[in-house]
Amino acid sequence: MKHIEREDDFSSRRMHLRELSDDELHARFWDLVNQIVTPLIDEARSHTTPSIERSVLLRMGFSSLEAGDLVAAMHRRGLLNHGAGRQILELANKRRISIRDAGSALLEGRYWELLPL
Amino acid sequence: MKLSPDSKLDIAELLRDLEHFRPKRKGWSWRRRIENQSIGPFIYRDSAQSLKHSVPLAAAHHFDHIDPQCDLVITTEIASGRFEDDLRRMRMAAWHGADHIMVIRTTGQSHIDGLIEGTPEGVGGIPISRKQIRATRKALDAIEDEVGRPINFHSYVSGLAGPDIAVLFAEEGVNGAHQDPQYNVLYRDVNMHRSFVDAAEAKRVLADAGILQLDGAHNANATAREAWKVTPELFVQHAINCAYSRAAGMPDDLIALSTVPPTAPPAPKLRLDLPYAVALREVFAGFRFRAQQNTRYMEANAREVNVTHVLDTLISKLARTDIQSTITPDEGRNIPWHYNNIAGVNTARQTLMGIDGLGELLRLRETGPLRDKARELKERAVLFLEEILDGGGYYAAVAAGQFVDQGFYPERRGDGIVRDPEGGDGADSVIPRAPDYGAPVCSHFGNNIYAQGDARACDAHGGCTLCDPDKIQYIDELDADDNVNRRLERPLDEHRRGLLRPEVEKHGDNVVSVTLFVPASPRVAEAAALQMAAHMGLKDPQVISRRMMHPAEGSVFEIKGILDIAIAIDELELPQRLEPLDDAEIESWVRPREIHVVAATVGEDEHSVGLHEILDIKHGGIERYGFHCHNLGTSVSIERLLDTAAQTDARAVLISTIITHADVHQKHMRQLHELALERGLRERLLLVAGGTQVTDSLARECGLDAGFGRGTSGRELASFIVGRLRQAV
Repeated sequence: MKHIEREDDFSSRRMHLRELSDDELHARFWDLVNQIVTPLIDEARSHTTPSIERSVLLRMGFSSLEAGDLVAAMHRRGLLNHGAGRQILELANKRRISIRDAGSALLEGRYWELLPL
Repeated sequence: MKLSPDSKLDIAELLRDLEHFRPKRKGWSWRRRIENQSIGPFIYRDSAQSLKHSVPLAAAHHFDHIDPQCDLVITTEIASGRFEDDLRRMRMAAWHGADHIMVIRTTGQSHIDGLIEGTPEGVGGIPISRKQIRATRKALDAIEDEVGRPINFHSYVSGLAGPDIAVLFAEEGVNGAHQDPQYNVLYRDVNMHRSFVDAAEAKRVLADAGILQLDGAHNANATAREAWKVTPELFVQHAINCAYSRAAGMPDDLIALSTVPPTAPPAPKLRLDLPYAVALREVFAGFRFRAQQNTRYMEANAREVNVTHVLDTLISKLARTDIQSTITPDEGRNIPWHYNNIAGVNTARQTLMGIDGLGELLRLRETGPLRDKARELKERAVLFLEEILDGGGYYAAVAAGQFVDQGFYPERRGDGIVRDPEGGDGADSVIPRAPDYGAPVCSHFGNNIYAQGDARACDAHGGCTLCDPDKIQYIDELDADDNVNRRLERPLDEHRRGLLRPEVEKHGDNVVSVTLFVPASPRVAEAAALQMAAHMGLKDPQVISRRMMHPAEGSVFEIKGILDIAIAIDELELPQRLEPLDDAEIESWVRPREIHVVAATVGEDEHSVGLHEILDIKHGGIERYGFHCHNLGTSVSIERLLDTAAQTDARAVLISTIITHADVHQKHMRQLHELALERGLRERLLLVAGGTQVTDSLARECGLDAGFGRGTSGRELASFIVGRLRQAV
């Protein structure tokens, strides 16, 4: 794709900014920035990724190898939208076993039929 | 683990029981600023608490050996590929005033979708893993106790494993991190959605751990042909990361802009760079500033690099800066050598102490070109933001090549970086959260059924690793060959056998560099210089810096090569160094005996600083023990010295020869001995020479009793005189 080439038209393009005080210019700057960032942060609030889910499992006491395998397996089965950590916690509660035992069982191929919980 | 200044860092001890190591503190530390601090003969306006152990600037011995510390944090970036060698470099840097150690990651870690474990060797940096971080933090904990100041440990939270790495850093006591989703998008072609969604989680983790965040905007300077023209865009890149970090829950004082003065001489640097620096600090008031030094226009000439970096540091001081980052003077030629990290740190601290209190001497003008240019840059940045929104937002703007265009915005050359919002590494890995989505852990960003009310999200299972570090799963090594234990076999063996090799980067690299001037045209001179280096025994000689002095008269070269040699410490003959006597012991012997000493700087030499230091009471010289010193001054003849010695019935004559040509200092030493013999004074007189080119053995060869080189103290000289006169009694 050929994208825009443009001469420096600063002197005409800036006309609407010319009369703003420095403080007003700064306020306009930050207002525009916030408009740009809002949809980005909204997406982050409502979405997850394999790396976020791995980082959750790290925090729940799994090693990076275990977290990587568990999240990859859940990703394949379309379970990450519920949260990898939540699935393991619910499984542990349901089977009355520890979090780590629940993760190990999944890594051994057990209990997948119970998910999603 | 406790370090002793006289002992090398014990790597074996460091690696012991890492599984149970916990960092002693978390979060970022600033220096403790002390206004109007009295240090030695001076009062400093902008200094910080002094260190327990340090190596002062070289000239400090003229000023009571003071080592004032500036109030900015000083950064050094370290990247050899082997963390076990980097730790020694960190210790040296800390002694020279660095308190922010930035560890560069191995090439390509951004594209690894997960954490690296163990201690594999890296290329151009280290593979960041839990074991390497833990070992480094353990070393830095010991080093900060040794120097007496907190040391901030820093690395990178970017790429496909950002949230994983952020958690790792929070768990292991890393204090600072680069995190900027735009860096992934523009320079690593990581998918945009993935990059921003991951970034919110990573930022939240960093924020809760008190980790200071740096952005990645300075990279645009480093990649642009005309780096000063991307400045309008840099406002935008900084702002997107700042606003996004805030929205993810990061407080302003943990958000730092990574900024760099874009130009270097012969460009009119201050006129271009200062308005930009000032405008940036006005728009981003309330955030922190990390000032980097210029890398874009750095060539192999270290002297030229240093001057640019002094000017960069001046700009930091004229604007406002919290962290002064340093670039090694050899970055333009190779992966930095360790002593060049130290050189970079010294450039910053030397400059900052030299311009201490600049704010009370001058103020930037409030009208004129500085203000006009600053205003213009801000307006150009606002126009850039308007076009992003007009075009449909950030993703659309990147897709349209609006970023890293070489034009001075709103000029556009049409050569910006273009990325497909739906493409790149990790595309299609962003998943909408279901209404029942949950993550039962602390520091999690976004919708989460466990984040309700005041309870911790991890209470549902008794606490996460951020609350209970005993839950962290530690992996030691995964690769039986590529690990630190294997790499250490030879260094530890050579250490046990007391062998020493030259090094610039890693143990046993055997790299040395020599400087050669060859009086011929550049091509001829270079070929000759390489052959000369080969004759010196250097294997694989390579020119690392060349500078023409004149097209016909000659060029100077720095040449690196391999000197594959191990020296046995046991077989070295070390020059005897006199153990100085106690001050009280010297004084109690000297004072009652009325001992006269005659001294002068001899020959055609007007330098007398060294002698004053040795003699004068106010410099800690030998007068304070009760010696009667007769300093005859400079350019004194040997005859006159001996005349005075005879008149005062002196017991010692000291001559100082600081700068000599064609071995004149040796001639003077011989003359002193011979004339003293001739006049029958030799037996009664101790004859001593001092100066930068004098050694004890040289002085003795010339017939004198002793010679003292650079760095001799009055106490050492007095100890010698007392020792010899006591024997004579």
